[in-house]
Amino acid sequence: MLDIGKRAGTRYVLVAGSIIALVAACSPTATNPPAGSAAATSAPAGSAGATASAGASSSGPIKIAIIDAQSGQLSSLGADEVQGVTLAVNAANAAGGIDGRQIQLQTFDDKGDPTTSTNVAQAVVSGGYIFVFGPAESTDTIAVAPILNKAQIPLITSGQSDAIANLHDPFVFLNTPTSSAFDSTLATYAVTTKGYKSIAMISNNDSYGKSEHDAFLTALKALGVTPVADQVVTPDQKDFSSALTSIRQTNPQALFIGAEEVESGLIVNQAKSLGLTAQIIGGAPILAVPFLQTAGPNADGCIGTSPYIGNNVNDQTKAFAAAIQKAYGATPDLHQAKAYDGAQIVILALKQTHGQGGKALADAIRATKYNGLVGSFSFDADGVGVHQTQLAVIQNGQAVPLQ
Amino acid sequence: MEVFVQTVVGGLTFGAIYALVALGFSLIYRTMALVNFAHGDVLMLGAYLGSTMILSFRLPVAVAMVASTLLTAAVGIGIERILRPLENKDLDLMLIGTLGFGIVLQSGAIIVWGTAGQAVRIPFGAAPIDIAGIIVQPYDLMILVAAAAIGTALYLFLGRTKLGLAMQASAMDFQAASAMGIDVGRMNAIAFAIGSALAAIAGNLAAPLLYVEPTVGVSLGIRAFAAAMLGGFGSIPGAIVGGLAIGLLDSFATGMFQGYGEVVTFVTFALLISLRPTGIFGEHTISRV
Repeated sequence: MLDIGKRAGTRYVLVAGSIIALVAACSPTATNPPAGSAAATSAPAGSAGATASAGASSSGPIKIAIIDAQSGQLSSLGADEVQGVTLAVNAANAAGGIDGRQIQLQTFDDKGDPTTSTNVAQAVVSGGYIFVFGPAESTDTIAVAPILNKAQIPLITSGQSDAIANLHDPFVFLNTPTSSAFDSTLATYAVTTKGYKSIAMISNNDSYGKSEHDAFLTALKALGVTPVADQVVTPDQKDFSSALTSIRQTNPQALFIGAEEVESGLIVNQAKSLGLTAQIIGGAPILAVPFLQTAGPNADGCIGTSPYIGNNVNDQTKAFAAAIQKAYGATPDLHQAKAYDGAQIVILALKQTHGQGGKALADAIRATKYNGLVGSFSFDADGVGVHQTQLAVIQNGQAVPLQ
Repeated sequence: MEVFVQTVVGGLTFGAIYALVALGFSLIYRTMALVNFAHGDVLMLGAYLGSTMILSFRLPVAVAMVASTLLTAAVGIGIERILRPLENKDLDLMLIGTLGFGIVLQSGAIIVWGTAGQAVRIPFGAAPIDIAGIIVQPYDLMILVAAAAIGTALYLFLGRTKLGLAMQASAMDFQAASAMGIDVGRMNAIAFAIGSALAAIAGNLAAPLLYVEPTVGVSLGIRAFAAAMLGGFGSIPGAIVGGLAIGLLDSFATGMFQGYGEVVTFVTFALLISLRPTGIFGEHTISRV
């Protein structure tokens, strides 16, 4: 039997362990130190000396935050974003930084949760950061935008919901086309090019799925087509038997999927196993690695649309894929590519402002023209920089541009 | 009719997986009166170990399943061993401890396997059975048979063997059980080992139907927890019936109410539990304080 001291000790150990685990899960983490430089020194969020970011100091490292999910269900998106941003920033630092100043990245885990995102954004404001990469989720971006706007901290998000552009926030920029651009390309292909009249839809009801659903439905209606089925599922759903059997009864020519990569893969697997023969079409998730892994051989023949078709399209994408592979041992897709482009744009803008943040940095970003991996960036008043997507079909597990 | 029957087939398949996970919840609860909140993450660990053995080490599926199940059971024993100082003393801290282990397992999986997941294919390519347009996959049938066989074996083990009865006795009155010569700590370790093994089997069986990633156990764990409660926490037949019931309820709710299906599932579950708090096969044998 334990004596009282031992029992008390055990309690303290467990409670302390739990607190440490929770604190560790919520704390910011310094990303890879810049290549060829001293390790990044990380200032804890909310630490002393935190002043309004717009007036950040003109010497010492330039502090930039990444707000993204590093844990939880959306952590793979966050990890991709960190890789893309860090690759660009490390290269810039190795080349001398901004007027000799190094860019210091700090990653904040928002768990893909809007409430956590706002808490983290407050820490970023008080921490003296002059720019934010992320969040990758549209809902989280919309949650943090007012906080960062008030502090005049620009951000570049990987979220693609039209609702972000509709904020008309001069400090918010997108490194991707909006859902409207994706889905009008897809709808035009399905209706005009292929002549499909019988199109079914299945989408989930999170911010991405709803945005895809609304954008594709609007594009279809603009082309005079009403979907024969419009099934909505939840992001956590695993069994789609009921929805897919209902769709099968309408015998559609095409099935549009508006869901993230893994769920899209599960839907395709179950659709094929139920004997659905409709042409599968969808947004960027259809061309992403997790979808290809999840759907396996069932991915072949699926058509997706994205501003970044794959890693073998041209010399620029090949060099990028090789660099990501060398640095992280990973095969990149759209997520890393758009994060990398966003980081390059910010680096160019920082060179223009000589490291100054605030409105000057936002204006410099808006004025930047950049020919990147996901397209030619030229920002409009709503912060959308690239406006076109391309179509691709999966052949032997690879995305191939559709002629 | 076609939609109805196909929904039943889909609901039963995932219900069988929930049942296997619920069996682990119930076994640990009926032995230790403890709800193991790390159970879903133990499932994730089992699924990762199994899929890694298949994809990276090219082991046969059966070998990978057995090896990953044994390894996961060993991890379960490790969790119990760390929590053992609190057994029979402070259940609240043990609950917090299991929550902590859940966080540790998820974080550990991200460190070892990264945030990206891995996909395994269904191990055999048998043609689906088509009965008047109703498609049944042989793999789905295999999951149902496995759940039924494991549930029956566990029921017989707990009710008909000396070890099983000793595990029940240690839950009912650990002091009396100790006085009768039962090693309560060993019983708890066995419960954690078997419970974790069940989670690993469920994880391995579910892996080809899902995508193995660090959070794969979260939604499965929540539904299995609801299944165990609906069936009667601690009851082995209850875990099976509860698992199938939650699977069917979930499938019909999402089919009928689409995006609101999940809400309907859990509101219905809450109503059922409020009408019968002890669940379908509710037992009142757990009295440890």
